[in-house]
Amino acid sequence: MNDLAALKNDMEGCSRCSHCKWVPMAQIKSWRFAKVCPSVDRYNFHAYSGGGKLIAANSILEGRSEITEAVMEIIYRCQLCGACQVSCQAYRDDIDLADVLLDLRARCVSEGYVLPEHLLMIESMKKEDNTLGLLKADRGAWAKDLDLLDINTQQVEVLFHAGCRYSYDEDLRQTVRNWVRLFRNAGVDLGAAGPEESCCGGRAFEMGYQGEMRNFAEDMIARIKASGASLLVTPCSDCYYTFKYLYPKNGLDPGVKILHAVEYADLLIKQGRLQPGKCAPMRVTYHDPCHLGRRGEIYKAGWSGSNKLHRPVRFKQMGNLGIFDPPRDVIRSIPGIDLVEMERIREYSWCCGAGGGVLEAFPEFAGWTARDRIEEARSVGAEAIVTACPWCERVFKDELKQSGDPMKVYDVIDLIAASWGG
Amino acid sequence: MNSLPQDMYRELADALGEENISQEPAVMDGYAWQPAMNLTNQKWIPRPAAVVLPATTGEVQAIVRTCNQHRVKFKAHSTGWAAWGGPSQEGELQIDLRRMNRIIELDEKNKFAVVEPYVCCAQLQAEAMKKGLNCHIIGAGPNTSPLASATSGWGYGGTGLSTGYSGRNPLGVEWVLPDGEVLRLGSPGSGAGWFSGDGPGPSLRGIMRGFSGTQGSLGVFTKCAIKLFPWYGPREPRVEGVLLDVKTEPPETEKMFFVVAPSFQKYADISYEIGNAEIAYWFCRSPLNAGVDLFMPRAGDRIFESKPLRALLKAFQHLGVALLSSPSRREVEYQEKVLRKIALEHGCILLDLSKAPGYGFWWWLMGVRSIPTALTFRAGGDFLTSYGSPVEYDNAIRQAEVAKQCKQKYIDQGFFKDDMSDIGWGGIYEGTANWGHCETAAMFDRRDGKAEGRSRYLEDSAETTVQHTLGLGLSNLPPGAWKVYGPKLHNYHLWEARIKKAFDPNSVGDEQWYVPSIDEIEQEASSAEERR
Repeated sequence: MNDLAALKNDMEGCSRCSHCKWVPMAQIKSWRFAKVCPSVDRYNFHAYSGGGKLIAANSILEGRSEITEAVMEIIYRCQLCGACQVSCQAYRDDIDLADVLLDLRARCVSEGYVLPEHLLMIESMKKEDNTLGLLKADRGAWAKDLDLLDINTQQVEVLFHAGCRYSYDEDLRQTVRNWVRLFRNAGVDLGAAGPEESCCGGRAFEMGYQGEMRNFAEDMIARIKASGASLLVTPCSDCYYTFKYLYPKNGLDPGVKILHAVEYADLLIKQGRLQPGKCAPMRVTYHDPCHLGRRGEIYKAGWSGSNKLHRPVRFKQMGNLGIFDPPRDVIRSIPGIDLVEMERIREYSWCCGAGGGVLEAFPEFAGWTARDRIEEARSVGAEAIVTACPWCERVFKDELKQSGDPMKVYDVIDLIAASWGG
Repeated sequence: MNSLPQDMYRELADALGEENISQEPAVMDGYAWQPAMNLTNQKWIPRPAAVVLPATTGEVQAIVRTCNQHRVKFKAHSTGWAAWGGPSQEGELQIDLRRMNRIIELDEKNKFAVVEPYVCCAQLQAEAMKKGLNCHIIGAGPNTSPLASATSGWGYGGTGLSTGYSGRNPLGVEWVLPDGEVLRLGSPGSGAGWFSGDGPGPSLRGIMRGFSGTQGSLGVFTKCAIKLFPWYGPREPRVEGVLLDVKTEPPETEKMFFVVAPSFQKYADISYEIGNAEIAYWFCRSPLNAGVDLFMPRAGDRIFESKPLRALLKAFQHLGVALLSSPSRREVEYQEKVLRKIALEHGCILLDLSKAPGYGFWWWLMGVRSIPTALTFRAGGDFLTSYGSPVEYDNAIRQAEVAKQCKQKYIDQGFFKDDMSDIGWGGIYEGTANWGHCETAAMFDRRDGKAEGRSRYLEDSAETTVQHTLGLGLSNLPPGAWKVYGPKLHNYHLWEARIKKAFDPNSVGDEQWYVPSIDEIEQEASSAEERR
C-alpha cells in the first residue's frame, strides 16, 4: 500500500502519446464523443490526464516538484473511473496507470493533503459506518417490513448487501426494495445485516485512506463468514468493485461468491426462475457504471515478474472482463423496451461523474461530467438512461432535476418492476 | 527554474483567464516529459516557465504578441507527442492548443475539412466517413493532429498510395506568424473559402513547411483545410473491441492481401507496378517480424531466439499489405486480377487475408484506422525511426536494405531490441507518382540509459544515407541537424535562416528543431573565425 515508488518504472514508461485522453482509437465514432477522460476534458492541462498524473507522480518522486494545494486539487479532480487505463493498456499493457492514481492519493493523505469533504466522509465512516454522514441506527430502515432474514442471528444462503447509498437515499429506496422483491419472486431467501451492515470501505481506499479499508473489510469478512452465506449479492457497483477487486488486491478474501444484483437477475431469468412482464414502449440506453464495468473486472492475482511486457494477458487489468452483457440482456428481455447503445460503452464508457470522491468534493465537476453523458444519451434518441449503480443514478437525477431536463433515469430493476405493474 | 516576468504572467492571465495559465511545477512537468524523440539520457526536457491554453486565434495572437513584447520564446503543440512539441530551453512559454479542437467545416463536394489543431485524425476520419470521405492518417497513428503533420511536420500513412502524405494535403491555412500577425495562405487569404493552398491569395507552402515542416518554430497554425479522399467502405462501421479483440465485418468491396516478394528489389518492382496500374487503396511494406514484435512482444522475444523460427519469419521479410477498395464488386475483382498478375510476374506469394480468420481485425486496425504503428512503443517502451527520405521508391527500398545492415550492429551491441533488424516500413505515394519512403524503426527501452549508442546509430544512419546517395533521412533531423546537413546539402539552412529572420525578427519562436536566424548563424561563424 502507498508504494508509489514501486511504480516508478511504469511512470517512466509513459511515452506521452495521450491515448489516455481518448476513447480507444478503434472505437472513435464521432468528433463529439471521442474523449474519455472527464478530468482533462474539463480542466485541460496535461496534468489532469492519466498520463499527466503518471508524470506528476514521477516528478514528485524525483523531488522536481511537490504536492501543493493546487496539485492535490488536480489529483482529486478525477473520478478514478479507469477509462485512461483501458485506453492506455490497449497499447501499453506494461503500465498500471490506475495503481499510480490510487497510490498518488495515498501519498497526498500521508503528507497531510486532504480535502475537508473527504475527511467528513472518513469521519462518518469511522463513527457511523457509512459514507453519508447519517446515523448507523437508521441503516436498516430501507428494509422495514420486508422481513429479510437477519444474518446477525440466522444462517443464510444468500446475503444481500445494500451498500451506503441504497441504505440511506430515500429517493432510491423503492429501487433497493424492488431488488429484494425480485429475488423473492424467484424463490431466493435473502438475509441482510440490517442496521449492523457497514460500509465496504472502498471509498476510503479510493480517497487515499488505504488503511481504513482494511478495518471495514475485516469486519465485513467476519460477518459474511458468520452468516454461512455462499453468495453475496449487492445492487451497489461501488461495493461490487470493492469486493471483487480491492479486497483481493489487498490480500483480503471475502470467501464467498460475489454477484451484482443485475448479474444475479440475469442468471435467474436465463434459468427460467424469473419472467419479466411487458413495459410501455420506451427507448432507453444503458450507462455502464465504471465500478461494475471496466473496474468491476475481477482482480487477476498470481503474477510476480518484474518485466510487465512479459506479463501474460490473463494477469492484466484490461477492463474488458467487467460486467457488460448481463444488464443489457436483462433490459432486452423486457418486452416493450428498445435498448439503443451510446457511442462510449462497455470498457470505454464515459463516467457519470460521481466516483472517486468527486461528487462530495467537487459537485459542479460531477454535474458537468453527468451532463456530457446525458447529452450522449439524447444523441441516440433515448428517453431514459438505465444503469445499475446508485451513485450514477444519484448524480444523473440531480443534474436532470437541476436543469429541468425531461430525460428519465432508471435502475435496471425499475424497468422489471414496471413490467410487473410497479 | 526560470519563471515568466510577473507583468507578462498578469497580461496573459487577463487575456486568457486564470484557469488557462499555470506556473505550477507539477503541471509544467507534464510538458517537460517527452520521451519520444528525446534521444538523450536526460529523462526530462526543459521545463517551460508557464503553460497557456488559448481557445481562439485571437488569443494565440495575444500570446505571441506578449512574447514579442517581453522577448520570451514560445513553443506551441497540438496533441503534444514527442520532444519537438516542447521547449528546448528553460524560461519558454508552452502553448497547449488543446482547447482549439473544432472541425469548422467539412465540405463534401470539394472534399476537404477545415480543422483546428486539437482535432485528431480518428475524429476527422469518423466524421469524413459519414460523408463517404477519408483522410490521410500518418504512421504515428490516429491520435495525432492532422493539422500538425500537414503544416509543421512530416508523416506518411499506409493509405499514402491513395491519400498522399501529410505535406501534400494542406489547402488553405490560418497562421499566426511569430510577430503576432495573422496570415491566411491560399484561397482564405482572399476571402474565397478554404479550397486551395495556392491562391487566389498568397502561396507560401514552401516557406510554411518546405520539406519536413518547421516543427512549430515559425509561429502557430490555428486552422488548416485538409484534403479528403473518397471512402468506399461503410459510413458508420460497426466495430467491437479495442485492439487485439477487434471484430468487424468488412464489406465485399474491400479485400486485403499479404504480398510477399522474394527480395528488396522485387519488392520495389511490384510497388511501381501496383502504383502504375492504379489499383489498391493501401499498399505498405510491413515485414512480418515487425508485426510479431508489435502485436506479441512476449512471443516475439522467444521466437527471435529460435534460429528455425527466425528463418521462417525471414521468408516474410519483404511483406507488403495491400488493401483493395472500390465502389463496386466488379471493380474490386478487376483490381484483384491485376494484383495477382503482378505477383505472378515477379515471383511473389499472394495470401488472401479476406478469407483468413480475424480479417475484420486487420481491415479496421491497419487498413482503415492505421492503429498498429503506435504499438512500436509497446515492444521496448520507446522507438526511433531512421532513414525514410521521400524519394523514388527503389531508392527508398535501398534505404531499408542499408538500414538493415547498419541497425544490426547496434542490435548486437544491445542498444536496440532484437527485431531481426529489417522492419523497414512505408510505401509509394499517390499511385503513378512512383515515389515514396521506407523508414526503419528501432525499438528500445530508454530507461536503460544507453542513449549514446542510439545517437551514434542516428549519426551512422545519416552517414550511410550520404555514402549511398540516398537523400536526407527524415529522422536524421534531430535538433541542430542543419549544422551537419547544411554544408552537405548546398547550404539550404542559410535560406531557412533568412526566412527565420524575416518572419521572426525577435527570435521568439523556439528554433531548436529548425534553424536560428541568419544573424545568429553569421555571428557564430564570425566568432569562430576570430577564435581561429
